[in-house]
Amino acid sequence: MPSPTSHWVASARAVFAKDWRCELRSRYALNAIGLFAVTTLVVTSAALGPSGSNQAMAINVLPAILWLILLFAAAAGLPRVFVHEEESRTANALRLAATPSALFAGKVAFGLSLLLAIEALVAPLYLAVMNLNLASPGLFVGALVAGGYGLATGSVLIAALASQARGRSTLFSVLAFPVLMPLLLLAIELTRNSVAGDPAGPALPQLLLYDGTVTIAGLMLFPAVWNP
Amino acid sequence: MTRTISLGLRGALWLWMSACIWGAFFYAWSDPAFIGQSSRILFFHVPMAWTSFVAYFAAAVWSAGYLWGGRQARHDRAAAAAVECGVLFGVLATITGSLWARIEWGAFWNWDPRQTSIVVVLLFYGAYLALRSAMADREVRARISSVYALIALVVTPFFYFIVPRITESLHPEPVINAERKLDVDPRMFYVLIGSSLAYMALFFWIHNLRSRAQALADAQEDELP
Amino acid sequence: MELGGLGWIFAVNLIIWTGLFLFLLRLDRRIAGLEAGKSR
Repeated sequence: MPSPTSHWVASARAVFAKDWRCELRSRYALNAIGLFAVTTLVVTSAALGPSGSNQAMAINVLPAILWLILLFAAAAGLPRVFVHEEESRTANALRLAATPSALFAGKVAFGLSLLLAIEALVAPLYLAVMNLNLASPGLFVGALVAGGYGLATGSVLIAALASQARGRSTLFSVLAFPVLMPLLLLAIELTRNSVAGDPAGPALPQLLLYDGTVTIAGLMLFPAVWNP
Repeated sequence: MTRTISLGLRGALWLWMSACIWGAFFYAWSDPAFIGQSSRILFFHVPMAWTSFVAYFAAAVWSAGYLWGGRQARHDRAAAAAVECGVLFGVLATITGSLWARIEWGAFWNWDPRQTSIVVVLLFYGAYLALRSAMADREVRARISSVYALIALVVTPFFYFIVPRITESLHPEPVINAERKLDVDPRMFYVLIGSSLAYMALFFWIHNLRSRAQALADAQEDELP
Repeated sequence: MELGGLGWIFAVNLIIWTGLFLFLLRLDRRIAGLEAGKSR
């Protein structure tokens, strides 16, 4: 008889593995997010040129654009994680198979790994085409990971809400942007500091606090979203 | 009997609010630090802003009551009515604030941190109302929007820390400052507190009417074949 | 009374508030009436 904890971990992992198997079969989210991110990146860099050598641009503008690209990429792909369960009518099977919090953890793990993969593709490309030099690469990676985690968790939670309503895709942006705005502002601030070589400052603990808050809120509230 | 008492309470509210309006213009000083008589808008602007925050908080409490208090429809109606009132008072606070900003700062809008925060909060609760209108089933709507109201309650405090770092604020200090000392003239303070109480009483009255009207509308919908 | 003076703006405020008050009072009475009709 497995312990409750290992059972919880096993079902979260099963959800994660199932989502990746579906994803690798259709490649819907990967294609949508990846192409969206690369397209916006090409458009912005074509419009701005290699502007990273301009110090004011590099610090004030470019970090904000990077995070806006990531935000819209997340909004293009992550709502799918629950919408496709409703569309393929597998939501009820999932309700029987896993406890809500394990399901939420599995979905967050899937969304997070997807987003980190996109970040690993987009961020180096962005630094290269914008000719942007990092004063502290470690802080930059930290901002991408901590920001990516909050972006994935918040988006998955809002995706679960939006999948219950009509007009899901438009509604997702309306619901998610106020929730994600503090995260975005903090991640942009951290990225700016990593470009300028400033210390992380209060933005790092606040970003981690945001990540923790959204995780706890998600684990507490998701059962109410999922179970009628 | 209860009818007489409730009418008496409403009459008292009329007198109280009227006295506050009188006090705002004739009892309190006009703060000489501000241009002309512009400081008098304080007695309307600040209570509206406070009331809108009380309304949002009340909405979160009723939402939690819905989710963990036996899923009663009346809690959801109360939460929705509180958000509607909060948005109403929030919009009024924004308008009165930008009228004052026009006189004092020379422009209706300049993205002061307070202006940014109140707009983001309005976006949040505007999204809440959009979410409600996108769900037809009453049970699903109550459940999902309660969750969203609680998310709003835990996320909005972050703006309090973040936004002031982005631009410096010109907004006057809160009435009770960090040293917990009263920073205003006592007459201004009395009118401000009295006016805030009046606005909160007004909020609870409007909220009560809105919830009851929605209960009637729901009951009528149930009677339809 | 001077137009735009304190007395004038006080009067306008008082009129708006009294109007809102009477409107709410009427609404209250109507809702109470409908509620009484429902319970019968």
